[in-house]
Amino acid sequence: MQLTQPKTWPLAIKLSLTITTVVAAVGFMIGGVMIVQDWKRFHDVLGEKALLLSESIATTTPKAMLRKDYWQLYQSLKNMASRRPKSKGNHGVITAMVLDAEGRIQAHLHPADNPMGLPFSPSNRLEQELYEQAMSTRAPIVISSDSFSKTGFQEGVVPLFSDQKYLGVVRVRLSIAQLYEKATSTAILILALIFCFVIIGSALGTIVSRRMVKPLTAVTQGLEAVGRGEMTDFSPIPVKERDEIGRLSVTFNQIMAELAEKKMLEEEIAMNEKLVALGRITAGVAHEVNNPLAGLLNCIDTLRKHPNDKDLIDRYLPVIDQGLHRIKEIVHNLLVGLKIEGGEESISIQRIDKLHDLITAESGDKDIDIIWVNNTDQNLHIPSKTEQIVCNLLKNAVEIVADGGTVICSLHQSGPFLIIEVSDNGPGIPSNIRNKLFDPFFTTKPDGTGLGLWIIYRLVQSMEGVIEIKSEEGQGTTFHVAIPVITKKAA
Amino acid sequence: MRLIYLCLLLWLPPTYAAKAEQPIRFGLTAVVLTENLRFLDQWSQYLEQKMGRQIEFVLRKSYREVMDLVTAGGIEFAWICGYPYVQKRTPESLELLTVPVYRGAPRYHSYIIVHHTSPYNSFTDLQDKIFAFSDPDSNSGFLYPLSLIAEQDEDAETFFRHTFFTFNHAETVQAVSEQVADGGAVDSYIWEYLAIFRPDITEQTRIIKKSPGFGFPPIVSRLGVDHTTVKLMKQTLENMDQDPSGKRLLARLKLDGFAHYSDSLFNGIRALANTTKRNNLLSNMIATD
Repeated sequence: MQLTQPKTWPLAIKLSLTITTVVAAVGFMIGGVMIVQDWKRFHDVLGEKALLLSESIATTTPKAMLRKDYWQLYQSLKNMASRRPKSKGNHGVITAMVLDAEGRIQAHLHPADNPMGLPFSPSNRLEQELYEQAMSTRAPIVISSDSFSKTGFQEGVVPLFSDQKYLGVVRVRLSIAQLYEKATSTAILILALIFCFVIIGSALGTIVSRRMVKPLTAVTQGLEAVGRGEMTDFSPIPVKERDEIGRLSVTFNQIMAELAEKKMLEEEIAMNEKLVALGRITAGVAHEVNNPLAGLLNCIDTLRKHPNDKDLIDRYLPVIDQGLHRIKEIVHNLLVGLKIEGGEESISIQRIDKLHDLITAESGDKDIDIIWVNNTDQNLHIPSKTEQIVCNLLKNAVEIVADGGTVICSLHQSGPFLIIEVSDNGPGIPSNIRNKLFDPFFTTKPDGTGLGLWIIYRLVQSMEGVIEIKSEEGQGTTFHVAIPVITKKAA
Repeated sequence: MRLIYLCLLLWLPPTYAAKAEQPIRFGLTAVVLTENLRFLDQWSQYLEQKMGRQIEFVLRKSYREVMDLVTAGGIEFAWICGYPYVQKRTPESLELLTVPVYRGAPRYHSYIIVHHTSPYNSFTDLQDKIFAFSDPDSNSGFLYPLSLIAEQDEDAETFFRHTFFTFNHAETVQAVSEQVADGGAVDSYIWEYLAIFRPDITEQTRIIKKSPGFGFPPIVSRLGVDHTTVKLMKQTLENMDQDPSGKRLLARLKLDGFAHYSDSLFNGIRALANTTKRNNLLSNMIATD
């Protein structure tokens, strides 16, 4: 697993991360909505409160204004302001004022900076805008500023009328500081709850995903073991649920059990085949060696009875010699076939071309057309065993074709393989014996040992190559051999 | 028949008793702090005990309202300012009963006060500023500052940029201390009283002018109140310094006692009233009821 590549992460981690992400996303979304709603509600309530305070001031203001009772105006503002808590984080009155129709201060909560009788002078552009808004309204309104900061406020503005004549306006401004703190603490609480919710959710998600993925992990490990060919040490996946994963586990357990059984059977068959092959070789050796031995013993017995018969000696000695050579040949071929090893030596492809002359000589008196096609790179290097394979195949072909026949040897490279095709237009191989061709001691020739094709097969096998036969009776035979080439020149 | 007489006898006395038990009504404004209701209860209990009559304190916002009550016969006695006392009424409806003695004399002053941080050091500095008056019928809280404007040959209507009435000397001090007004005129007795009980307010103010002594706001009786009651009230008040409970009450009021003085004590205020025209001014300064 690579941390930088999420694609390689285990499913259990990805699943639990996904669950955590989804839980967190949903949680924070709901939390966000709650916080915003909460803030909006608090904000509206504060606005209503500001308006209510303004309206309460406005009930007595017109009369006091008409009576020029400025002290009462101021006191009503002050009493209203001092009724609210002034302790920390209050949403108390920041300021309050009564202005007449011309915008002159009739009463102000901060009289030192806002002397009565003078026109109200806004301290900045925002104040100017709010002032204009307050002076222009003819119905109670709530105006606000900096809604989302500690310094923000909500202001209740109530115009004053007496007998439908506009007298001025009451402005009461409440700080949202306490609201801000209240909303912040609520938000922290909500976020903390969501955080706990996410932790619990992700823990549950991890447990659930682990439980879900555990059988899948076991299946994956089992399949990897199959890939490596290890099936015997597989322990069945415990099945607790009857859901899809449970059913998958059951099926997998069955497949694994069957595969293990099959492997055991294959091993048994392979062992049996080995024993059969050994038996066939033993029988072949016994048969092939025993036959000449019987003739030889006969000859020796006859010679012993007629020790002075020169004609007999002249006739029997070559027979004994031939018989012993045949035994020697069989034993030699057997040893060659059985002792084939890796063979690290390599030869140039040109060595194969030399076989052309050899085979032409081998054909002797037969009029055989040998067609030689070599399309390979002349610098190509091939395992040395290839020479023997081509030689043996050509010898067989030359031997099998009738006078006037044709033998084609074609060499070319296909990817990492050297492709050798040896064709003849001989009698072909009957289909009933084609599967026995590569067995040791199987021969159709009266004096053959039946070890030539077996040795070719063993050589091709030792080089991890492939050999195939295409043959039609009366049409001829083609041996198709693919051998891996040596890409690096041998020393 | 005897039973009927008995019933009549039993029924009649309460009627007479009810007549005899008509409470003596005593009108007050904020000569002292109006919120000292518990003190007024104790004072009324004291007076009831001494006089054997029920005493009822009648509180009003302004001297005008108290004076109206006197004129209408709604109260028997009143503690009013020297200024309404000296005003001419036809017919006269009240007479001087007794005068409080404050710090050894039946006199008090008017203080012109400003905020302790303000740059104003004289009354003329307050021209074109905001000024708080106490009561339109107050000598120290209205008549005296008007006389100061008159002395400058200035028009009282335009001398200050803005004026208002608090109807309470203590609240005038408060208005100045909170800078609602740049200056104010208050009764020295009230300012000194506050300096003891509410120094946090008076410390915010500074006295820039002190008037000459004026006759202390007197206790008056309504003409027509029976002589016995008037005499009893005068005696009771003037003897308050003679017994411990009376002394305790006087100590609460920060007064030495009550004593008899002649009407000439108020000549100073009378002179001030004659030289200062206030009626035209009032209509522009306050819409009276």
